[in-house]
Amino acid sequence: MIEVKNLVRTFNSGDRTIKPVNDVSFVLEQGTLASIVGKSGSGKSTLLSLLGALDKPTSGDVAVNGVSLAGMPDAKLTEYRRRDIGFVFQQFNLIPNLSAVDNVMLPMEFAGMRKAARRQRAKDLLEQVQLVQDKHDRRTNRLSGGEQQRVAIARALANEPKLILADEPTGNLDEQTGDHIISLLSALSRDHNTTILVVTHDRALANKTDRRFRLQQGKLTEDQAHHRTPLPVTA
Amino acid sequence: MPGEGGSDAGLPGRHLNHRRNVSVLARSVGNAFRNKVRTAAVVAVLAVAIGLALAMLVANQAVGAKVQELNASVGTVLTVNPAGGQGFEGGGEPLTTGLAATAAAVPNVSAVVGTSSLRLRNATEAAAQTGTGGQGPGGQGGPGGQAAATLTTSLTAAVDAGTLGNRNQQANGTTGSTGSTTTQPMRSLPITATGIGAEVDTTGKALTITEGAGLGDYTAESTNALLGTTLAEKNNLTVGSTFTINDQTYTVSGLFDAGTTFGNNAVYLTLPAAQALAGLPDELSSMIVTVNSLDNVASAKTALQDALGTDKADVTQGQNLETAVSSLGSVKNISFIAFVAALGTAGLIILLIMVMLVRERRREIGVLKAIGAPNRTIGLQFVLEALVLAALGSTAGAIIAAFASSGIASALISTNSTGTTTATTAGRGMPGGVPGGGAGFPGGGAGFPGGNPFGGASQLLTSVTASASPGVIAAGIAAVFGVAIIGALVPALLTARIRPIEVLRGE
Ligand SMILES: Nc1ncnc2c1ncn2[C@@H]1O[C@H](COP(=O)(O)OP(=O)(O)OP(=O)(O)O)[C@@H](O)[C@H]1O
Ligand SMILES: [Mg+2]
Repeated sequence: MIEVKNLVRTFNSGDRTIKPVNDVSFVLEQGTLASIVGKSGSGKSTLLSLLGALDKPTSGDVAVNGVSLAGMPDAKLTEYRRRDIGFVFQQFNLIPNLSAVDNVMLPMEFAGMRKAARRQRAKDLLEQVQLVQDKHDRRTNRLSGGEQQRVAIARALANEPKLILADEPTGNLDEQTGDHIISLLSALSRDHNTTILVVTHDRALANKTDRRFRLQQGKLTEDQAHHRTPLPVTA
Repeated sequence: MPGEGGSDAGLPGRHLNHRRNVSVLARSVGNAFRNKVRTAAVVAVLAVAIGLALAMLVANQAVGAKVQELNASVGTVLTVNPAGGQGFEGGGEPLTTGLAATAAAVPNVSAVVGTSSLRLRNATEAAAQTGTGGQGPGGQGGPGGQAAATLTTSLTAAVDAGTLGNRNQQANGTTGSTGSTTTQPMRSLPITATGIGAEVDTTGKALTITEGAGLGDYTAESTNALLGTTLAEKNNLTVGSTFTINDQTYTVSGLFDAGTTFGNNAVYLTLPAAQALAGLPDELSSMIVTVNSLDNVASAKTALQDALGTDKADVTQGQNLETAVSSLGSVKNISFIAFVAALGTAGLIILLIMVMLVRERRREIGVLKAIGAPNRTIGLQFVLEALVLAALGSTAGAIIAAFASSGIASALISTNSTGTTTATTAGRGMPGGVPGGGAGFPGGGAGFPGGNPFGGASQLLTSVTASASPGVIAAGIAAVFGVAIIGALVPALLTARIRPIEVLRGE
């Protein structure tokens, strides 16, 4: 469960102050698949970075399973990111000179998993995001945008996080592959009780989530009376 | 699905840290070669700095060892020679045992050892020369102008005369042999026999006896003799064997090793025995005076010179040696400073390149942090990457040092010891420019016969190249790694300050 209370993040740009996250509050039960839509520059990525403990809020608090992130020491925050969070970056942020498998293995390495085990799991995850076998050992700067995006998703799933924060995870994918990724995330939330928050411009994707949020000028609102459309299980 | 992929197989645990470190190392090596052109350039610059550092260390160690050796050999020893015994022509009065007693009474003098030098010719060779030349070498003065008896012996010298030796013998031994130069027999160098009052060589250095025992009672006339190892070998003599000098039989009581070919072509007898052989029971060729401490050497030297009188004796401290030691000392200092400077440069190069790499990979460091890498893992990765560069630089640097060491060392020494070399040659009173080759005879004033401890720059250089040992190189490389770690630590600690939000920043 994730509880967000009066979250504010401001930036000073020159003489103006911008507030991409302005007094945001919401609660997500464990296992919820939620989406956030909003215009470019509305603060979606900024909000995700606060939830993922990449950045610290100007004010307000995020509590994960009752534990507040505010005032948590850096080493604990690192552990939180490693253990509890899977982050899919908008820009993928893979390590360019490492292979796809090595990139997916990284979070498991930091968690102290054995090499053989993490290699096996990395390959399984790459299969799940439909990256063909012969690209597993290719350096990620030699992969296409969509391929990199799927490696980034696989890396986010590596340590079986409780919360997955995905910033436009289907933005570079064709419809079919995008649908597959959505079913994958949906199955995760349903079968593994993983909380998933997806930022997307994709209406179809948003419509398949349990809860839909809209971010406008730093303010978060929720679309009411929505029911999750049933999905065929592919995995 | 996650969870099915064998999640139980790898539980997190501290004992697994080393596995993680292996992966960190692999990443560091990979990162070191990420930009191959740049890596090559950095390694080349590092190699020059490290090579210079190693070469300087080698020079420093070699010179240091030499200085220690020189100090140990003649540190507190003064040599007293008869006045006027310099150069080719000598005059004046010989030293006497009476003067030895005077010397012993000088304050701070802890020991006085008299020596009596004899010049031994092989009996057969001498006879052959007398036959052709008419006048034998017997009774000739030493080339240093000092009277020294030449006697015949059953021993054969272990060293060939060489050019200088032949020239000397021609001048000394065959003065009357006009017209007979075409039939000169092959000659060997005369053997130096020295009567000594204690178990020391003519420089005051303790004799290294390799086999057998000493002469026994050094103050009494005896038929015991100590032979240099090469001389004994040449004559097939061992401890207990006998040989003759002027028809008198001597027994080999021990063998010594002076460390040099010429030094080992020598015989030591007791002082009274040598004096008796020479027929000059009261005379000494030289005195070796040991001063009780290094601090008192200068004052004791003055006191000794005053006590003996400038008309009778020359007291030398091996001035040239002192100059040599001090100029070598400055070479040692210069090379040490250069070593530290080159090492510091290598450290600085590593520091700068790592700072640059950290700045360049800011965003990537942010990614690692965002996916949960602890600060120490990232820091370690950068330190290891610096060590990879240091290792490559050291390898290339060691190769550079191997070729440059002796050149650098000789350049340092020759510029610093030119004056010294000249002084040594002049002071020896011998025409020989070849160290040791012309100095086999102790008659030449301030000479260091046989075991000449200072043979000029060329002898030093031999030991300099010999000292480029793997141990010194290893110590130097260890220092390079130490400096590399220090140099890499600063940028590695800088990574701790990079925040994970850097991932969202554009490059
Ligand atoms: N470090 C920063 N300093 C100043 N302004 C920032 C910073 N980071 C983000 N902003 C600003 O905050 C606003 C929100 O940015 P954010 O990246 O959250 O938008 P977004 O909703 O993710 O947009 P997009 O859909 O294009 O990805 C933007 O106006 C952006 O310029
Ligand atoms: Mg964004």
